[in-house]
Amino acid sequence: MDFIGAYAPDHLTFLLKGFWVTLKVAFISIILSFIIGAIVGTLRYAAIPIVSRVLAVVVETIRNLPLLLIIFFTYFALPEIGINLEITYAAIAALTVFESAMLSEVIRSGLKSIEKGQIEAARSSGLTYVQTLQHIVMPQALKRMVPPIVSQFISLLKDTSLAVVIALPDLMHNGQIIYAQKDSYIIPIFLIVAIMYFIVNYCLSQIARRLEVKRA
Amino acid sequence: MIEFKGVNKYYGDFQVLKDINLSINKGEVVVIIGPSGSGKSTMLRCINHLETITEGELTINGTLVADKKTDINKLRRNIGMVFQHFHLYPHKTVLENITLAPKKVLGKSENEAKETARYYLDKVGIAEKADAYPSQLSGGQQQRVAIARGLAMNPEVMLFDEPTSALDPEMIGEVLDVMKALAKEGMTMVVVTHEMGFAKEVADRIVFIDQGQILEEATPAEFYANPREERAKLFLSRILNH
Ligand SMILES: Nc1ncnc2c1ncn2[C@@H]1O[C@H](COP(=O)(O)OP(=O)(O)OP(=O)(O)O)[C@@H](O)[C@H]1O
Ligand SMILES: [Mg+2]
Repeated sequence: MDFIGAYAPDHLTFLLKGFWVTLKVAFISIILSFIIGAIVGTLRYAAIPIVSRVLAVVVETIRNLPLLLIIFFTYFALPEIGINLEITYAAIAALTVFESAMLSEVIRSGLKSIEKGQIEAARSSGLTYVQTLQHIVMPQALKRMVPPIVSQFISLLKDTSLAVVIALPDLMHNGQIIYAQKDSYIIPIFLIVAIMYFIVNYCLSQIARRLEVKRA
Repeated sequence: MIEFKGVNKYYGDFQVLKDINLSINKGEVVVIIGPSGSGKSTMLRCINHLETITEGELTINGTLVADKKTDINKLRRNIGMVFQHFHLYPHKTVLENITLAPKKVLGKSENEAKETARYYLDKVGIAEKADAYPSQLSGGQQQRVAIARGLAMNPEVMLFDEPTSALDPEMIGEVLDVMKALAKEGMTMVVVTHEMGFAKEVADRIVFIDQGQILEEATPAEFYANPREERAKLFLSRILNH
């Protein structure tokens, strides 16, 4: 094992560049999939006649596909129908589609977990369905949803590494390039890559814990 | 002001309410009693359209409750409801629980809503709990907040669905006292309860319902002393002997 050679300054810079791509792709996908997931999850919860049924089919389909397949699809299949996405955008698109479906499910079941009595109390006082959702159901559901939403964010961040298959220059990808030069780099590079993933995800889960304590 | 005319309700093939005819006047206190599963809650919940009737006519001040053209949210402003399990909003303080609907539904200002809320909290005897969360209150206190929440909309009718059956015995009295005071002030009330003391003291009428049918309507004095129906006799002997 050659730690000194593996951690040469230009290797570290290269890894950090990859790390930055990972964070960027994850961050953008998290924001987008949270917005889309919240809208889709709420629409499904609201049981709007045709809309909810259609969304259910779409969400279930996506949830039952491997993310890897979706990544391949956005990069290799979309150009066939005239949509050419740059690697980064292809990765963001694939992650967003997949994670939106996952998050919509988290959000829908969070909303569903609020007791019927809460809704009846609100509706019987004259609040409309939307007001009830806004003031009674959502605030309570959000509190319960923080832990599963954050763990979904964490898995999204880890899932960015799957985009190595389309050569997204992320942390995993750049790590591979470095250790491909020399076998003695493999373990040191794996170690530092693992530490980097761990640090961000650990921070995320700590933030989630804080939020939980505060809102409890 | 509340009028059931030939109301039927089904859950699938099961008929929960059978040809209900009942009229409740302004200022009246009507107590509904009957065995478990007889349809008491269903009947009450039809009044504010938490349940939909299948057949017949149900009107409030002449407005058809189940009609598509009726603005149900507007109708509900005028009907307070108190549930067996309180259903206070756990993420809101007592004051916020009470001010929510007046602000959002009636468009009252924050200050006006708070003032009204404090007035009713004082009335139900827990003014000092305004800033507490529901989880910090006893069952009896929670139910009194729920009553204040209903009253803050200044409704014409209050519906109560077994308001004391989830309470420990020592807290039943404090809730019943609030309800009695309300009845004596002339509030129109429809109350599902087996509390005989309450019924005897303030009810104008007892409605006995069994298997979805109204079997007997009488004054409390008549009903408890001398029920006409066999099933009412049986029911009374059961609730009295335990
Ligand atoms: N959503 C529903 N679907 C099917 N059946 C129902 C539904 N809600 C109530 N029922 C049935 O309707 C009947 C009347 O119910 P309801 O709750 O009105 O009775 P109740 O007189 O209030 O009884 P309890 O004293 O136990 O509260 C019961 O047999 C119940 O099982
Ligand atoms: Mg009931």
